[in-house]
Order: sequence, then C-alpha cells, then structure tokens
Amino acid sequence: MREETRREAVWQFLTYSFIVLGAVVTLVPLYWIFVASTLSESEFLSSTSPRLVPGGEFFSNLQALQARENVQILGHVGQMTQYVDLGPVYFAYDFWHLWNPGAIENSIFIAVAYTLLSLVLCSMAGFAFAKYEFRFKKPMFYAILATLILPIQLLVIPLFLLMSQLNMTNTYWAIILPWAANPLGIFLMRQNMRSIPDALLESARMDGATEFQLYYKIALPTMKSSLAALAIILFLFQWNLFLFPLVILEQGKYTIPVAINQLVGAQRVYYDQIMVAATLSIVPIFVLFLFLQKQFVSGILAGSVKE
Amino acid sequence: MANIELDTLRKEFGTGGQTVVAVENVDLDIHDGEFLVLVGPSGCGKTTTLRCIAGLEDVTSGTITFGSRDVTDLRARDRDVAMVFQNYALYPHMDVRDNLGFGLKLSTKLTTDEIHRRVEDAAAMLGIEELLGDKPKELSGGQQQRVALGRAIVREPEVFLMDEPLSNLDAKLRAEMRTELQELQHELGVTTVYVTHDQTEAMAMGDRIAVMNDGVLQQVGAPETVYRSPTNEFVANFIGSPSINLFTAEVEGSTLVGPRDFAYDLEDTAPVAGYDRVRVGIRPEDMQMVSEGGTTATVTVAEHMGNENFLYLELDGHEMTARIDSAIRPQAGETVQFTFDEDALYLFDPDTGDALKTKTDDVDTDVATMATE
Amino acid sequence: MATQDSTRPANSLRDSVRFWRQSLSSVLPSASDSTVGYLFLLPAIALFAVFLAFPIVYTLYLSFFRFQGVGGETLFWIDTGFFSYRLVSIANLQFVGLSNYAAMFTDSLFHQALFNTVFILLVQVPLMVGIALLFAVALDASFVKFRGVFRTVLALPVSANLVAYSTVFLLMMQDSGLVNYVLTGIGLDPIPWLTSEFWSRMTIVGAVTWRWTGYNMIILLAGLQNVPQQLYEAAEIDGANRIEKFRYVTVPQLRPVLLFVFVTSTIGTFKLFSEPVIINGGGAPLESTITIVQYIYQTAFIDFRLGYASALTYVLIGVVSLLSAAQLRLGGEGDA
Repeated sequence: MREETRREAVWQFLTYSFIVLGAVVTLVPLYWIFVASTLSESEFLSSTSPRLVPGGEFFSNLQALQARENVQILGHVGQMTQYVDLGPVYFAYDFWHLWNPGAIENSIFIAVAYTLLSLVLCSMAGFAFAKYEFRFKKPMFYAILATLILPIQLLVIPLFLLMSQLNMTNTYWAIILPWAANPLGIFLMRQNMRSIPDALLESARMDGATEFQLYYKIALPTMKSSLAALAIILFLFQWNLFLFPLVILEQGKYTIPVAINQLVGAQRVYYDQIMVAATLSIVPIFVLFLFLQKQFVSGILAGSVKE
Repeated sequence: MANIELDTLRKEFGTGGQTVVAVENVDLDIHDGEFLVLVGPSGCGKTTTLRCIAGLEDVTSGTITFGSRDVTDLRARDRDVAMVFQNYALYPHMDVRDNLGFGLKLSTKLTTDEIHRRVEDAAAMLGIEELLGDKPKELSGGQQQRVALGRAIVREPEVFLMDEPLSNLDAKLRAEMRTELQELQHELGVTTVYVTHDQTEAMAMGDRIAVMNDGVLQQVGAPETVYRSPTNEFVANFIGSPSINLFTAEVEGSTLVGPRDFAYDLEDTAPVAGYDRVRVGIRPEDMQMVSEGGTTATVTVAEHMGNENFLYLELDGHEMTARIDSAIRPQAGETVQFTFDEDALYLFDPDTGDALKTKTDDVDTDVATMATE
Repeated sequence: MATQDSTRPANSLRDSVRFWRQSLSSVLPSASDSTVGYLFLLPAIALFAVFLAFPIVYTLYLSFFRFQGVGGETLFWIDTGFFSYRLVSIANLQFVGLSNYAAMFTDSLFHQALFNTVFILLVQVPLMVGIALLFAVALDASFVKFRGVFRTVLALPVSANLVAYSTVFLLMMQDSGLVNYVLTGIGLDPIPWLTSEFWSRMTIVGAVTWRWTGYNMIILLAGLQNVPQQLYEAAEIDGANRIEKFRYVTVPQLRPVLLFVFVTSTIGTFKLFSEPVIINGGGAPLESTITIVQYIYQTAFIDFRLGYASALTYVLIGVVSLLSAAQLRLGGEGDA
C-alpha cells in the first residue's frame, strides 16, 4: 500500500513537472521578446547573457521605429493640409486625414471590418440555407461545402489579376472582400441555425414579424454564442493573412504581417525595432485572448468539428 | 370576435412529383366564441388544418373566412390570430415581459405604456406577475405554458389557435390546466380552435369536437353527440376510452351471429335490412355480466380499479373489454357470460363503415342537442 | 425590470419610430418563401461567385497558359448612350497546353521546396501531435489543479500573429540568441539555427510546434472529455495500469480526433508560408527552408510566371483537397 502511494506521488510529480515545463517553454519567448523590446540594440547585442529584467529603452526604440520612412507600425499625426473650419462634419473629415494609420490600426480595422461583414453575410446565408426552401438550394450549398476543402488563402493569383482589373489593388477592400463569404462561416451558421425550432419563427411570424425581423430579432439573438465563436475564427483568419496582403498592399496600407516582413527583410536589420513591433502586435491579442478565452476555445472547436 | 368558416379547404404537399393530400376538402363552421376541438390520430391533417387557419401554410384550394373577412391569402401577421404551440416557442433571449409584448410591439399601434399595461393585465390574469423579469429557461414547464398562453391572450385576437398545448405537461398539471384553459376561454369569449390527439381532452374541453381521419373531416358535434351517435365506425372507435368493442357478425334473419356462441336477436331489424354481414359495436360500459343466456367469453385479465373493474375478454380470438361494477370480480381464466341492451348497440356497414344504428337508450337527448347550440 | 419606465418621454419617440417602421413594412409586398431565401443568400453568393468560384476556375485556366502581362484588351463593349459597359480581358495569355505541368518534373527548385515541405512535415507533425496528446492527457488527469490556468497558458500561442511569432523565433535563434545561451549555459555547443541547412529547417519545426501545440491540445482535450469514464473503470477492474489504460482505452477512443489532428496539421504544413519567409529573410540559406507556397509566391510575384505558378497552385490544391476530403470523411464518420 505504501509502495502504491509513493508511486502515485512520483506520477503526480512527473505530470506536474511536464505541464509546468510546457508552460515555461510557452511563456519564455513571450517574456523574452518583451524584455528585448525594452533594451537598446547595443545592450541587446553586447550582453553575453539574456536579461530577465526589462530595461528602459522601450519608448526610444518605438520612436526610432516610428521614425522609419517605409514602415509605420503605429499611426501618427499627419500634416494639417486641408483643414477648413466648416463645422463638425468637416472637422471629422479632416481629423481622419490628419491621422495616418499605421500597420496596427490597419490590421485591426481590416480584421474588425472583415469580421463584421462576414458575420452578417454568413449568418444571412446560413439562415437562408437552414430555414427556407428555394430552387437550387442543394447545389448551391454543396458548391459552398466543396470549397471547404480548398485552401482558399492560396487563390491569390487570379485574385491579384482581378483586383488589378477592378482597380482595387492597395485598398482595404482587396483583402476584406475575397473571403467575406467565408465557406466555413456559412457552413457553421447553417448547421447551428438548423437547431432554431420552426415554431419559434412561426410564432414570431404570427406576432407580426417580417422575414427580416425573424433574422435579426429572433435568429441572431439566439445564435449569440455561435456568432461569438465564429467571430473569433474570422478575426484570426484575417489577422494572420500574409500572402495576399504581401502581394496586394503597398507602403502606407501595410498590415502587421507585411510591415514586420519589411523590417526583417530590410538592408539593415534593427533588432530593437523589430522586437517593439512584435511586442505591439502580439500583446493586444493576448489580452483579448485572456478576456475571451471561452469564445476562443469554442471557436477552435467549432472550426475543427465538422458535423 | 368572429366565426370561422372553412369552405372546401384542401392542402396538398408535393414531394418530388408525388403529392400527398393532407387536408381533403374540409367544410367547417366554427361559431363565434366557440371552443372547437380538432381531434384525430397523428397524421390525420388536424394540425395542417390549424396551420392553414393560422396562415402558416398556403392552402391548395378552398377559402377561409373570419366573420366577413376572406383571409385565405393573408399572411399570418395580418389575420389577427394568436397561436399557442406545442413546445411553447417562447423567445429564449427575451424575458417574460418582452415575450408577452413582442406581438403588440410589432403589429399594433399601441404605445409602449399601453403595451406595458396590457402585458401586466394578462400576467395578472394568469398569475405570472412575479415571472415577468425571468427568461424562459428559468421557468418550469407549467410556467412556460402560462407564458405561452399569456402571449396569445395579450394580443386580444379574433381567434385563438392551440396546437396540443398541454401535451408536454405531466398528467396532474395537464388536468389542472385543462380546466383553467376552459374557464379562461369562456371568460374571454374568443373563438378557439384546439388541436389534440387525445380524445379524453377533446371530450372534456370542447364545446364541439371535430374528428378527422386521413385528411377527411369525419364528424362535427357536441362531445355527447359524437360519442352517442358517431357517423361511422372510425369515430365510434376513436372516441371513448376504453375503446368500443367491434366485431363482424352475420345477419341471419333477425339474429346477429358472431364469434364463439354470440347470437343476438334484434327486435328492430330495419337497420340491418339488406345486409348479410354487419359490424357490431358495444361500448365497454354497456356490457352486462349475466349468469346464463349470454355470450360466453374467457377472462384473460381482470383489472380492479376500486370503483369499477375492467375485464379483458376473449372470444375465439376476438378481444373485448367490459367495464363493470366493482362488486363483480371474476378471476382470470374463468368463463363468464355477457349481454347488452339493444338500445346500446351500434351497427355499422361492413364495407363503408357508415353507422346503421347508434345508441337509442334513454338519456335525455334534448340536453345533448341543447349543448350544441 | 429595465422596462418599468411607464412615463418616460423617450418612449414616445421610440413609439413613433416603431409605427413608422410598421407602416413601411405593411406597404412592402409580401415575398414568397423562396424569394426571401434568395434575398438572404444573395450578398454571400455574389461575393462567393466573384472571389472564390471564379478564382478556383481561373487558376485552372491560367495553368495552361504563359502569362505575358496584365490584360486590358476589350473583349466586349456596349454603349447605349446613357449606359456603357466594357468587358476587358484580365490577362494577356499564350496557350501552352500541359507544358507548365511538364516543367515541374525538371524544376529542381520545386523539388527542393517539395523536399523541404515533406521533411518539415515528417518531423514536425508527429512531434507536435505527440506533445499535444501528452499535454491533453496530463491536463485531463483528475488530480491536476489550476487546470484552467495551465490550459490558458498552453493555448496562448494560438492568438499569436503568424508573422510576429516567426520573428520572435528568428530573434531567439540567432547565434547569440536566447536558445544558444541556454545551450551553452548547460554545457552544450551552440547550434547554427539559422545558417545550417538542417538546423534552419529544425528552427521552423520548433516554431510551428510552439505555435500550434496548444491549438491541437484543446481539440484533443475536448475529445478526451468525451471518453466515457466507465471505460477507464472497466479497464482498472481488468487490472490495467496507467500505460495500458492509455494504450488500450485512450488512444483507441481518441482515434478519430487524433486522425483529424494529424490531417489538419499535415494540411497546415503544406500551407507553410509566414515562417519560412521570415526565417529566410533573416538569413537562412535560401533553398534549405523554401516551402511550396513560398516557391509559388516567388514564381508568381517576383518572377511573374503566373501560368506556371497557377499550375503549381493547382498541384498543391489537389494535394490539400485530397487530404481535406480524407479529413471530412474521418470527421464525418460519426454521423451521415
């Protein structure tokens, strides 16, 4: 019996050690990049041992990064060239022109706009597939289902030509529109919306709801958790897109991945600046992750469980 | 308030070139303020009929009129009807107050204050004032049921439609709600169509009941009338619990000859004139146990209910049920003899099932007919 | 009870908006069921057709041509005075038949990219799935406390931007970076993580494993929680020890989930792009880490051989689709 308890204790110790080791290996790069971003380049290169205590150079590194001509990570105030004092509308218009967005703002704006647009499109299409009958419903659904197996991020060549024709290269639209009708999103919404009881919709019809009200007053509110999970999937999809933005965006419209790639591939590589950029692009999403853990997890599972 | 008139209502469902007739040319007049129960076995078209009245299904042909309004082509939301669904269909993301007020908000010009007042009145009527802030999933089945009713009441519609609203409740609550629902309906006086597959519920609740089978309306009448004078064998068999005993008998002169030693001399042979065979029906409560001179049957099971006994009998492969006084208690395996009064006998055409003779015993039929008025 | 505002003046404004909306909707014609379905579907289907269906077909079309420049030639025009429309060709192309596909057989850089990808795949996928499974099993153990915290920490890399985390690895793996410091600290020789052909591939393996292990762990953990507890109890009664329970209960029960994880990870490796681009950009020997997608990118957008790149894309799409189809089959085994 004592033997048994001792073995159990050893087993538990091993298990914990393994988990803790994993946690450390996961966290160390993150902490290290943060510390490195607070050191000057000479401190970073000269030190023979990695430092565990943050230095005080974060903001000067950031300043140096911001001063670069070709890449803007954070936005900055531009020049007041066309300021006309004609009331609040003009003020807002000029304010937008005064602010030159950097890669982080671009990425956030694009990812949020894409997520919202795609949520609307996918939920509407999913609602149609789940709750209405119409001709060619099955073929259309199967066409969308079939593209689930395609790596849709890789269709960049025709998209590039198409965007050139539509004069949309170097626009936000070029990376928002192509995957807005996200096949996985449509599929997931359709699967989930099938669980809405028909009686619920009929009941609302008898209460006087129009078909569109059924969608946004009944279907959407009952789908809140599915929508949140899908939002995470869509946001991360757009947030991580690299290949197509690399092809289609030019200086000034860069998203984070493209901007960092510019820093890494530059003639002279400034480690301190790269680390600031990496810290700035990783930390906000980590915070988001900590707050929205449940949605992240259900997003991962929703994307993996093909019902 | 209005009466509802269904004129040769027909509903077909097309599935891949194959059409199924769910409702076949139903003519039905539902009086103003009446509680009408549509009853029948599952798949008989009763729910489809209800959904046509609601405007949730397009009709294939025929017309539906509320009062003087032809509503056949109107959308559900323009018909001024309210419906209670089997699973209540409460909006899960809204609290009870919003559930009750949703219809008023969408389809009336009442101000928000007036809506509040109506919602609170309806809640008071049903005793659910304390639940107004709760979400449906926090409510018990009975409470959800009341909210579903409240949602219909608050609209003050011309017509109430109810699709098996009590079938998800346990037996005790169901009996309670049955009475409550009837009282409520009489108080409000709103024309109500109530669908159920449970004939007991139909008998207990309906001012009149309409029996359907295979999409065809079989009979409409007061519960008593339908029970005593069914128009055909299906209705006789469907209405009444335990079911009527039915078997085929040969007509030999004035005698009906059936299984085992069944032989019954008719005093009045007019109903069987021209028939070689007829279907014989005897209600279980009309079976009388006699010591001799009756038909011999073997008792297979005897159930002692306390106030009465059910005997399950066997006659050469035919099963019969008798509902008898609790003082008579034969054991399983014994043979007994039974008979019945000719007044209580039902006779049906063996081919069409049409009734040839129904109960003519001494219940005051005037009372039964008065109830239908 | 927020709605207990019987006398608020704001209600009257809300009410008039409501009434106005009601009158509007009562004027609008009632649409039939199928029309409503089409209307809901229209925006998604339109975008789907233009930006997904068309590119899928057009990539195949392009793969039979040599690209000679962006188009502009007018294919069709209509001008009715107040309305004019001009359809312009998308690209200037020369038909070359199957020669793009044939060229792949003698393209040594393509072979190198294929080799690199498969090499990374063979090392990385089993390694990562194995670690993810161990973490999942460890976290599933009943005695583990702070399970939620550990799960969060291990899953944290899921949210890391692909390019940004690649950069972190690039910096950590420098000759004088963190990893080599740790190695020399424990008495080992530093490793040329970014300059050796072999080790630069290993750097990618390590980076991908760091990024995706937590992701797969979450999926496996969900699978583990679906294993009925009675199976473990039954195995225990039959005298199975821990290892045997893992071998004879956990693994067979997890089989579909494990297969799913293997297939998605394999697909992921075929799509590798951010990591090799960053590691390459940071100085890895060019051809040692180039992956298929990276090669497609270079062919298409640096050499501007769009036809050949399309053919390469189609080969890749074919491989990935086959794998995905297998994955759907595996995933869909449970239900119809």
